[in-house]
Amino acid sequence: MVFAGLPLVQLLLIAGGAASVTVLLYILKLRRRAVPVPFARIWDAVFRDRQATELFSKLRRLLSLLFQLALLALLIFALGDPKPKQSLLEGRHLVVLVDSSASMKAVDVKPSRIELAKAEVKKLVRGLGSADRALIVQMGALSSPLSTMSSDVTELDPAIDLLSASDTRADLERGLSFALDSLRGLPKAEIVVVSDGVLGDVAEIGQHLDLGSASLKFLPVGKSGTNLAISEFSVRRYPLDKSRSEVMLEVANTNDRAAQVELTLLGDGTIIDVSRFALGPNERLPRYYQDLAGASRTLEAKIRFADGHADDLPADDHAYALMPERHRARVLVISKGNTYLEAALLLDEYLDVTTAVPGKVLPGEHFDVAILDGVADALPDTVAAALYLNPPEGGVPLKLGARLTDFGFDTWDKKSPILRFLALADVQVADGRALTPSAGDRVLGASDQGPILVSGARSGHPFLALGFDPRSSDLVLRVAWPLFVLNAINAFVEEDTGYVSSFRTGEVWRIPVPSAVDSATVIDPHGAQHVVPVKEGRAVYLGEEAGFYKLSAGSGSEAVQSEFAANLSDLPESRITPLTELSIGRQKAAPVNIGAAGSKRELWVYLLAAVLALSLIEWITYHRRVTV
Amino acid sequence: MGLLDMFRRETAPRAKRRERALFDDEFQRKLEMLALVSRRVFAGRLRAERRSKKKGSGLEFADHRDYVAGDDFRSVDWNVYQRFGKLLVRLYEEEEDLSIYLIVDCSSSMAFGDKKKFDQARRLCAALAYVGLANLDRVTVVGVNDAVVSRMPTTRGKGRIFKVFEFLSQLEPGGTTDLGSALKTFVAQHKRRGLAVLFSDLYDPAGFEAGINVLRFNKFEPYVVELVDPAEGRPKLAGDVRIYDCETGEERELTITEGMLDKMQRAVSDYRAGIERFCAQKQVPYFPADVNTPFDELVLRVFRRGGFLR
Repeated sequence: MVFAGLPLVQLLLIAGGAASVTVLLYILKLRRRAVPVPFARIWDAVFRDRQATELFSKLRRLLSLLFQLALLALLIFALGDPKPKQSLLEGRHLVVLVDSSASMKAVDVKPSRIELAKAEVKKLVRGLGSADRALIVQMGALSSPLSTMSSDVTELDPAIDLLSASDTRADLERGLSFALDSLRGLPKAEIVVVSDGVLGDVAEIGQHLDLGSASLKFLPVGKSGTNLAISEFSVRRYPLDKSRSEVMLEVANTNDRAAQVELTLLGDGTIIDVSRFALGPNERLPRYYQDLAGASRTLEAKIRFADGHADDLPADDHAYALMPERHRARVLVISKGNTYLEAALLLDEYLDVTTAVPGKVLPGEHFDVAILDGVADALPDTVAAALYLNPPEGGVPLKLGARLTDFGFDTWDKKSPILRFLALADVQVADGRALTPSAGDRVLGASDQGPILVSGARSGHPFLALGFDPRSSDLVLRVAWPLFVLNAINAFVEEDTGYVSSFRTGEVWRIPVPSAVDSATVIDPHGAQHVVPVKEGRAVYLGEEAGFYKLSAGSGSEAVQSEFAANLSDLPESRITPLTELSIGRQKAAPVNIGAAGSKRELWVYLLAAVLALSLIEWITYHRRVTV
Repeated sequence: MGLLDMFRRETAPRAKRRERALFDDEFQRKLEMLALVSRRVFAGRLRAERRSKKKGSGLEFADHRDYVAGDDFRSVDWNVYQRFGKLLVRLYEEEEDLSIYLIVDCSSSMAFGDKKKFDQARRLCAALAYVGLANLDRVTVVGVNDAVVSRMPTTRGKGRIFKVFEFLSQLEPGGTTDLGSALKTFVAQHKRRGLAVLFSDLYDPAGFEAGINVLRFNKFEPYVVELVDPAEGRPKLAGDVRIYDCETGEERELTITEGMLDKMQRAVSDYRAGIERFCAQKQVPYFPADVNTPFDELVLRVFRRGGFLR
């Protein structure tokens, strides 16, 4: 036993003084209340009986003195703040990693797994020893400390209240790394993972993360895992008919039992389609909605059991997507006449094509793309991008190489959005020129004799150069030709004809910003605004909530606004069956024993409680006339 | 006078109001009723008994009263009957020569407990005085504690009742009780023997017997009306107290418990039983008068006990 408050000598002095005063007060004659009576003689009979009980009265009075001294002793003892000797020993250092992933939103336990986890962590904190210290960390896609390493419950409790689940998966490896960094050099290090166990491939973490001397503990949360999920959801416009679109989604039954489900598709909040179907145990089922017409900008999908009841995790029952923005691209064609090119440009009604005669003064207005068909006219700055077809010497911002004959595409970049959906393997070209790319340029297609399709940028203006006249090949006779032209234009105007998948929560998003700014503002589904940096024309943001977002960049007349959607789309996170054990590599996490060893034992609290109890007994006996 | 005493003690106007309320109109109406009742109660039986003891010789007319069955026809005032049609009996002084002494204990203990005992004693005294005066008895009122503190001269005729009221209103409780000594003075001052009604709580340190015996031994006919306040039997006390006698100042230090209060209640009962036993042995009429019982009811009880009037 040690005294954390006043030292023992001082306590003894206080006790001696206080006890002396108490005894002195008891020795002093009790001043009795004077009460008149009409005839004192009658009391004599009573008084005679009292003489017989005088000894008992004295004893009772002595008992009262002892009682007061006992109260005094307890209070002085409490003043010393006594603590068990064990508390002098070095305390533990705990990093409490609280899983804040989407699966923690599950409501299989009431009110939810995250709320239960908070309650458990509060118990854990209250059970800490007096020398123990803890750090509360929210473990989501990122690990965020919510408190300092502290033993103060008044600091840790508010930090625990700040914990909330997001629509991301938890990155346990990142959380453990953070915990190890926080515990470096600290004795008795412990990492407590509070989670439902839905943490991805945990075994893999152990291969490249050494927990060292830190002991790992696991506090499981959750009891069941009945869940349906929309694991993928995206929409695209048809490349050749952008007024129509196609939706692809994937639903999954993560349960071991078959389920009848109801899937609802909404456009701008209005129901487009409701379908019911069966999903087998652990089945994933892709579904397509083809040839959708209409002006809907936002699309939502909802899933639930056909009998109407909800599953345990509502977060993945709702998915969001946004139809790609359509806007008219202004195209300047400088050509002596090219029927094939004109025909290809006619396929997209959203192209605003202006034709110019080579060698003449070019229009001064803004153009998104200029197509130079075998000409070398200098482009003004009002033209954002250029597509060079069979450029003459000096008509393209790169050097022309050797003349080529009878060649084709021997290699091409199949992942490039410009060459998407194109079959170029057997294209025959009669003649052309090889292109010599500069540093930073990218060869998208090449024959075995040299590059023939190169992309790059000069002074912030992107370009694409094709080293031969399409009319000198059979390319113009193929479907690939209009696709090539339209893909190139779309690539320049940032209009992707591919699937416009919504962003996935928990990842760093790079959102295109159609404005030259350094920062932009992201407005999340809850209306909160976040100023984010813009790098290489894309706003960088780590999104953690599913839903529709808004992005605004620039100010005044140059302000540009756009929208985008984000979804959980994480099937492993949707498998919410909780785990009761956790193993990192070969290390198995020990269970957490709340309030056991090292529990906070503030003895002064018990001493004060004893004082109160004694006072209560005294009060009751006094008022019940037991002692008076 | 301490600040608290100002609150404890009655202010003068309040005391006056209290005294006025003591003998208010309501009280006087009840006295009339008691006077009528007393005539019915004592008609015949008691009158004969009393008359045999008194030998009046005078024939002086004193008053009229209503004729009741059994009255001597010769005493009917026929002149009055002729004029008013009412049968009234002429009363003569020498026939009603009974002396009634009403002795009120004015010691401090009578004022204990908000003067309830003292007020009740004064009401009873006034009531009996009125009945006596109405029957043309000689009524004397005396206040005593350890001596005769005040005395109202002997009077008769019910018109003098207001003198009685005034005298009783002026009585103030105080001093110690010594009935033996006080009544010795009383008997020395009153040679004419008669009925002596003692209104007292009989809290006499020298013993309640002494006073009663003085009356007995001097050929008075003592009546004892003991004023009883039930609250004194079980006072509301608890804990460590120092009790002191309100008259003598004698002190006792006690720690009051429930058991002690039970014993106290028994002691008071024993004390009163002792008084009753003594009176029974000595054939002294004894009436316990509870302060909470209406005075008219108590007066009737006295009448029923008999021997009070002619």
